[in-house]
This record gives sequence, structure tokens and C-alpha cells, in this order.
Amino acid sequence: MIEFRRLTKRFGDRTVLEDIDLVIPTGTVQFVIGPSGAGKSVLMKHVVGLVRADAGEVRVDDEDVTHYSEAEFYGVRRKCGFVFQQATLLDGLSVRDNVALAVRYRFGVSRAEARARADTELTRLDLAAWAHKFPADLGAGLKKRAAIARAVALEPQYLIYDEPTTGLDPVAARRVDRLIAALKGRVTQIVVSHDLASILGVADRIAMLHNARVHLEGTPAELRASDDAVIRQFLGGLPDGPM
Amino acid sequence: MIGPVLRRAWREVRELTALVLRASALLLAMRLRRAVFVRQAYEVGYRSVSFLAITMGFIGMIMVLQSGYQAARLIGDYSLLGPAFIQLLVREFAPTIGAMMLATRVGAGIAAELGSMAVTEQLDALRLTGTDPVEELVVPRLAACAVMVPALIVLAGAFSELAGLLTARLVFEVPYAVFWDLRLLTYGDVIVGAAKAVVFGLVIPLVSAHAGLGAQRGSEGVGLATTRAVINTSMSIIFLDFVLNVVLYPVYAR
Amino acid sequence: MSAAASEPSSGPASNRGRGLLAAVAGLGRAALDFARELGALALFFARILARLVPPRFDRDELLRAGERFGWQSAPIVAVTALFTGGIMVMQSLPYVDQLQAMRLLPWAASFATLREVGPVLIGLMFSGRVGSNNTAELGTMVVTEQVDALRLLAIDPFQLLVAPRFLAMVVMMVALTILGDAFAVLGAMLTASAMAGMEMFQFVMLMREQITLSDLASGLVKAGFFGASIAVVSCYFGLRAQGGAVGVGRAVNASVVGSAVGIVVLDGLVTVVMGGG
Repeated sequence: MIEFRRLTKRFGDRTVLEDIDLVIPTGTVQFVIGPSGAGKSVLMKHVVGLVRADAGEVRVDDEDVTHYSEAEFYGVRRKCGFVFQQATLLDGLSVRDNVALAVRYRFGVSRAEARARADTELTRLDLAAWAHKFPADLGAGLKKRAAIARAVALEPQYLIYDEPTTGLDPVAARRVDRLIAALKGRVTQIVVSHDLASILGVADRIAMLHNARVHLEGTPAELRASDDAVIRQFLGGLPDGPM
Repeated sequence: MIGPVLRRAWREVRELTALVLRASALLLAMRLRRAVFVRQAYEVGYRSVSFLAITMGFIGMIMVLQSGYQAARLIGDYSLLGPAFIQLLVREFAPTIGAMMLATRVGAGIAAELGSMAVTEQLDALRLTGTDPVEELVVPRLAACAVMVPALIVLAGAFSELAGLLTARLVFEVPYAVFWDLRLLTYGDVIVGAAKAVVFGLVIPLVSAHAGLGAQRGSEGVGLATTRAVINTSMSIIFLDFVLNVVLYPVYAR
Repeated sequence: MSAAASEPSSGPASNRGRGLLAAVAGLGRAALDFARELGALALFFARILARLVPPRFDRDELLRAGERFGWQSAPIVAVTALFTGGIMVMQSLPYVDQLQAMRLLPWAASFATLREVGPVLIGLMFSGRVGSNNTAELGTMVVTEQVDALRLLAIDPFQLLVAPRFLAMVVMMVALTILGDAFAVLGAMLTASAMAGMEMFQFVMLMREQITLSDLASGLVKAGFFGASIAVVSCYFGLRAQGGAVGVGRAVNASVVGSAVGIVVLDGLVTVVMGGG
């Protein structure tokens, strides 16, 4: 379970997050949505210590990680997989070696064992054909899936995705959605997104950030039925409105 | 494996030659952006002085130390230390090592600047407004370096000589007047040193600008262009130094 | 630094005073910046050392880096050394001619090459080729968030990237200097033959008489130090790059300049410490 209690974060004189209260139950798929620049990515980066809170608490499995040091965050990072917007595989290694490297460092297994596990994971995600290619040779969709493979191969308890379908063509985007759906129950997943198809298709719960606060929180059905003006504008993709 | 490498090298030489001819033509036609030229000259000079002071100073100290130790061991007399040192400085080490240092400072700077402009599409923007990037960017830098590099090389030599003087005095107790002895220095030496300084002053901006203008898109584009500038400039300097030594040998060998 | 701005204005004398004060302040600021940079580099070096003793670095990366660095720079070093040998002969020839001591030519040319000119020039070439490439690579990784990704995978970037490259650069610099020395001697031999008519065989024999092992060794020790310096400087500026492609270019610029200063200063220190031996 991940909890944010009265979390506040400022960059200079701009308050990006203010008094955020949010609970993400174990095993669910929680989407965090909102307009660009609403602080969604910043919120998620608090969980793994890429950003530090100015006020409030961040709790992972009932452990207060708000003021952890870099070294203390290593423990948390072992539990959480993070898929960046830019996929961020290492340029100098093949896809399979990228995954194997992460496995080797996480579990301390032999190179051969790590490679075997990497192959298994890549096959499971339909990426076996590209195992020996380098990231520079792959399109955005494949790179994203490879990054997910790397994260999943580490058997995390939590997976955090930062805009996983942004920049992907619709087919690749739906494939990523399918991956997320397949992992339900095994892993607690948090997805930062503004892809409507993903949001309404995969989410168990949705939290919307607006003006540095949690504007609304609920199931996709609740959101669809809401008559809040901000939600209506966002879901409808309307240029004019309160946002 | 050699084939593609040679082909690429040949293409680079062709492009570089084209740039050299174009820039020279513009310069000779006095198409010089005065304001840019002055600012470039100022930057080249200003940014390099302290760097040269440190590097050439240390080199002067090292050279005198090494020669001094050997002189003590083999001849037992330091009277030739100063004269030989300044002669070698003028005709070889100040131009060559000074130019190599300036290749890293000035050359990398030019490549990074022009490369950044290439990658952020500022060059395309220039072309669209009808401005020739070579005239606007390369020629002023060429002129600035042609003027400033020889001057900086003289300064570099001065720093080395000063360091040498101090080292000889403090370590080997050679009086300043004995070390500062120009009896071996000939006009030939000065001519050779000057020729090298002038040539290097042209090589550095041309090779670096060529590398910078050719920067590729992508995060590593500018970095790789800067690498290419430093390496190509350094190798050109060594190669031209060798050639000039051969060609001008009769001039300085008396 | 704001004290200088609160002087009342009145005439040329105080204006000159203000200008002088500003200049001194600027110098002081530059000195402080330099000292701060030097301190940061020292700390960076300490972090690298912590992964070398006891050994905690990635073996695969070490081998890959060593191979890459070697192949990248071997041709450049060979060609540079070839010309350098020739240049040293041409510079020594007038003296040897004058003193009618032709048999000293091999010694005169090779002594300085093996001890000084060789390691320094090879160091500069290595810095320009391998050092700056390294900075570009690491800088790109930082700017595209690959290094952040590593941290999130709980992989220590120093263990995976920096320490192996450090070791590879030290080893490669020594190896390349050996290669360079060989080519420099070859270049010297060819030039001596062409310009002074000295037989190559004779050149080699005289050299073996007069050049000692310590001449070669001191050059190689320097090469090792230069490799370490280039590694620390290039990795440092690479990992601190920010601001996209432009930032990476700036980092490379800083890296080659810093490496050049490092080479020269270390050369001075080693020369002083080792004396004439």
C-alpha cells in the first residue's frame, strides 16, 4: 500500500503539489491523471526518492520514507519498478543484456542465469525477436515494452509508469494497456497518464490532480458519471472550460 | 574494414577543402563581419590567457628540470641550458604545444558553439533568412584566430621562458642573466616559429568549424563534433609540424 | 562581492578604484571557483577509489571499455608517435651536427621522447579521442535519464560505469604509450636515415647503448598517471552534464581543457618527485 499524507512540493515559488492525500491499495491499478504540468510525475517520483517532499508524508507499506537518504531509498527501490517516459534503456547494451544486467544486480545470480531469466521475460512480453537488437534500432513502442520487461523481470511489488503510452501509435498503446491489465493482482501498479483510452479501459481507480490538489478520486464509472465541470472538460477533450 | 573508414575520411577531406576555399575567398574579398570578429578575437584571447599561463608555465618548468638533470649528469655545466632551451622553445615547442593547448581551448569551444547552433536548427534559421553561415560564423572566427593565435603563441613562449628562468634559478642556481642568453637563437629559428604559428592559427578555426557545422542531431551530436574537432586539429598540427620541419630544415639548421 | 557596489561615485580616481576592486573581486571569485572544482574532483576520485579497493566494479564493462578505448586510439597514437619521432630527430640534428657528435643523435632524439614528449602528446591525443568521447557518452546518458534509471534499479553508476572506465583508461594509456614509443623510435629511425644518412641498424644499436630502462619506465609511470587524470576529469564532467545536446557539448569542452591542465600539472609533479631518476 502506498500512502500520501498532506504532501506538499514547491519548485521555487510555484506550488506543484499541495496537501495531497491519496491511498493506493495493494494489487490495484491506480491511474493518476490531470493536465500537463499538474504534478503527476512529480508525485510519483516521491515514492522512489527522485524528488523530496517539502511537507507531508510518503508511506510505502506503512514505512515513512519521506526523509530517507539515498542509501535508504535503495531498499524502497528494490520494491518499486519505475518505467520512465523515455524508456531509458542503456544505449550500449542489447535489449536482452539490458534486462539481464538489471536481474544480475538485483538478485546476484550468475550471468548465465540472468540471461535465461531475461529471455523468459522477453518471450512473455512478445519481444524475443528483438532480444539482440540495440535500443537505437527499436521504435518507441518496442523500447517502452522492453523497459517494462526490464522492470517486471525484477519481480517488484509496485510498478510505476510515467506516461507509458505517450508518443506511441494507437496499436502500440493498446498493447501496453494489455500488459498492464495482465499484471493486475500480481503487482500494484500506478500509471501516470493522459491517454483517455488507457484511463477508461484499464484503471481500477482514478485520481485527478488539478491546481496542485486531488480534484477527484474514484472508479472509472464514477468519473464518467460525474458532472464536475473539470472532469467533463478533461474526459471530453474540450479546449474551453475551467482548466 | 578499412574501406568505409578511408571513404569517410576522404569525404571529410573534400568537405574541409571546400570550406577552406570558401572561407578564404570570403576573407580575401574583405567580407568580414567586424563586430563578430572583434568579439571573437576578444573571447579567444581572454579565455586562453590563464589556461596558457598554467599549462605552458608547467611545461617550461618540466623541460628545464629534465634538461638540467641531464646536463648535470653528462656535462656538469649549465651554460648551454638557457640558450638551447629558448631556441627549442621558439622554433618547436611554443608553436606546437601552444597550438595543441589552444586546440583544446579554442578549437573545442568553436566546435561546441557551432555544433550547438547546428543541432538547435539555428543554422537552418540563418540560411532561411538568406545569410550564409560561413560568412556570418566561420570567417570572423578564422580571422580572429589568424590574428590571436600567433599572438597567444608568443605569449605562451613567454610564459614558458619565465617558468624556465625561475626553475633554472631556484633549482639549479643558474643566474637569470646566464639563462637568458640568446646567442644560439637565429633569424631562421624565429622564421620557422612564426611560420608554424601562422599556419596553426589558420588550421585551428577551419578544422574546428568544419567539425562543429557537421554536428548530427541527437543528444550526443555536439559532444561528438567537439571530439572530432579536438582530434582532427591536434593531428593536423602534428602532421603540419612535421612537414614544416622537413621543408624549413635548411632555414633553421644553418 | 557587493561591498564594491556601495561606494559613492565622484570622479576618475574612485572609478579606477572601483574598476580595480571589481577586477580583484573577479580574480578572487575565479580562484574560489577553481578551488571548489578541484575539491569536487578530489571527492569524485575518492568515490572511484572506494570501488577499486576492495574491488567492486563491473568486469564486463571493464573489458568492453578497455577494448573500445584501445581500438579507438591505437591508430591515432601510432601515427602521432611516428611523426613525433621524426620531429624530435629534426630538432636534435642541428645540435648534434654542430658538436660533431652524430653518435649522440639516437639518444638526443629518444631521451626526451620516451620521458616527456611521448607520454604528454599521447596523453593529449588520448584525452582528445577517448576522454572527450567518454564525456559525450556519459553526458548523453545523464541527459536522457539513463543514469537516473540505473539509480532506480539500485545499480551504482560508479560501480557500473565510472570505476571500470577509470581502470581501463589507466591500463590503456600505459599500453598505448608502449605502442607509441615503438612507433616514435621507428619514425626517428626513418627520419635519421633520410636526413642524416644514419643506418637504421646503427640507430638501434646506439640507442640500446644509451637509453636506460628507467627512461622508458618513467615515461610509462607518467602515462599511468595521465590515464587516471583523464579518466577522473572526463567522467566527472560527463556525469554533471545538463541541458540536452548543448550541455553535453559544453561538458566535452570542459573535459578536454581540464584533462590538458591535469596532464601538464601531473607531469610537473611526477618530474619533480622522481628527480633525474
